[in-house]
Amino acid sequence: MKAGGAASWWARISAGLLLGFPLGLALAGLFVQLAPDGPGKFQLAMWLVTPPWVAALASVFLVRDGVRAWLWLGGSTAAAYAALFLCRHFAG
Amino acid sequence: MRNDILRTCRVVHGWLGIVTGLFLFIAFYAGAVTIFWPALDRWALPPSAGLVTPLEQAAELIEQANEQRPESRRDFTVHLGADTEIPARMTWRLSRGNRELVAASLDADGHLHLSSLTPTALGRFIDHVHRTGGLPVGEELGTAIMGGVSLLYAVALISGLVIFLPSLTRDLFALRIGPSAKLLWRDIHNLTGMVSLPFHLVIALTAVVFCLHDEIYDALDRVVYRGTLRAVFQAENPFGSVPRDSAPAAMLSPAEILARLKDKAPGFQPNALQYRNAGTKGASVTVWGGDERYLMRMRERGFVVMSAVTGEIANTEYLPGFQGGYGRAVSAFFALHAGNFGGPAVKWGYFVLGLGGAFLFYSGNLLWIENRRRRDKDGGKGGMPSRSVRGMAIATTGVCLGSMIGVSLSIAASKWLHVHAGQPAIWQNGIFYAALFVALGWSFLRGPARARAELLWVSAAVTIAIPLTSFLAWVVPSLGLWVWQESIGVDAAALAGAVIFAALARRSARRVRSVSAAPSPGAMTRADCPD
Repeated sequence: MKAGGAASWWARISAGLLLGFPLGLALAGLFVQLAPDGPGKFQLAMWLVTPPWVAALASVFLVRDGVRAWLWLGGSTAAAYAALFLCRHFAG
Repeated sequence: MRNDILRTCRVVHGWLGIVTGLFLFIAFYAGAVTIFWPALDRWALPPSAGLVTPLEQAAELIEQANEQRPESRRDFTVHLGADTEIPARMTWRLSRGNRELVAASLDADGHLHLSSLTPTALGRFIDHVHRTGGLPVGEELGTAIMGGVSLLYAVALISGLVIFLPSLTRDLFALRIGPSAKLLWRDIHNLTGMVSLPFHLVIALTAVVFCLHDEIYDALDRVVYRGTLRAVFQAENPFGSVPRDSAPAAMLSPAEILARLKDKAPGFQPNALQYRNAGTKGASVTVWGGDERYLMRMRERGFVVMSAVTGEIANTEYLPGFQGGYGRAVSAFFALHAGNFGGPAVKWGYFVLGLGGAFLFYSGNLLWIENRRRRDKDGGKGGMPSRSVRGMAIATTGVCLGSMIGVSLSIAASKWLHVHAGQPAIWQNGIFYAALFVALGWSFLRGPARARAELLWVSAAVTIAIPLTSFLAWVVPSLGLWVWQESIGVDAAALAGAVIFAALARRSARRVRSVSAAPSPGAMTRADCPD
């Protein structure tokens, strides 16, 4: 357990698990806002939550430590929700 | 930094692999078997006494059954015969949530004849093992846990890829068959993993969704749909696409319904007609069937909803070839997970990939054990493997071989149980978990290396019991067993499997003999490791 000790590992994994899911929800939300309506759209939206979650969970091992994982993913998640609220605002 | 990442990924891959490997082994092994679910159900299906009324008389059968048994009108199914799992023309459920069916037929004088029919639960049980990864808990909890396992499995795949990438071009097809068996096992693990990587990525991502979709929908409803998802869901419910109208009305005959559908979708192969609210103006008929040219959602099935009165097509959102873009994308995810397209060649391909996946996890566990054993040996703990290494070796042998024995045993036992115990479904759980836990105990008592050889012999024996049961049914009819020509593939595959298990058992036994420097029972020996 090098590269920052056990605490860093838990910090990374918790960042991926806890921030990856809301990040996936926000990106699926953007899809719901921006893509044209059609039958089955809500099902595809549900399917779109997982890939960003998995990507986030894998990405936490590519940064140097747990703090950076929280900062990067926290920033991305905040940005995704900001975009979602902006879209909603302008879509009325 | 690059080396940092590589080192991190190596640790991550090792830990995630060892945590998830055994669950995934069971999920993949059972999952490979469920590819042939319909054939398995047919294999286990007892012959029924009831006559199957000719399709030309189906309209008359429906009329009589609906009249004499009004409770059948709410929801009944006409089977077209292509679907061999249910040997009856017309069935309905005894009550909601009950597996038992009422089968209706017309006797020689045209009178209605009713009998009860319980569809076989064998395929469903193997699927339960697949969904829960063999966890001895309820399906809901087991599936939720497997959702988490699948997430970790996806990350294990990505980290494994990162580790292997730098040496990809050098090592991909290198099989170092030499004195170091560990290197050979690692090469095989890497080759299997790389070649089937796209399959594994698809399986991992889709499995997370299948396991957690209720939870994801709930969250989506709160965050994105702000409480309106249920309304969206209902508005798009295909079974609500024919508006209810309780005024009585005459329905078209099955032949007319099928003719209308043929005009619209000539490539679609229907196998069942499910009627709802029969005899009313709002009667709907859902035609189930498949079209191998498309990616399909359920086991070889898609469906179309029509009005049973006018024959008008009400919903094509699940009809292969007529779906919208979003529906097509979602169907593709389902189909790619379960091999629901392209017919038998794709099914066999998925079967091989599924077994290959199980092997990937088994070999991964062996590599972890071997690495640890070497570290312990060089680490100055007197050369003795640590408790975690021994525990993992016992668990790997016990769980992997125990689940293989359990699957074969539940299949082989299903016919015998039907004859001697009536309801095989009740026993299946017990048989599977008994096999799993006995194998685990055996692996603990005998030591993983010797147990491996012995349990492989048991696997071979219970697997050959599958074709042997069919053979006995054929030569000794007085046993009360039966054999179907339609499911001869199950017998053939089991025979081949038994031969492979026996060959592996012989190899394992030979290795134990050649390495055994009189190991005390339960002790970790060199033979416990992959070389």
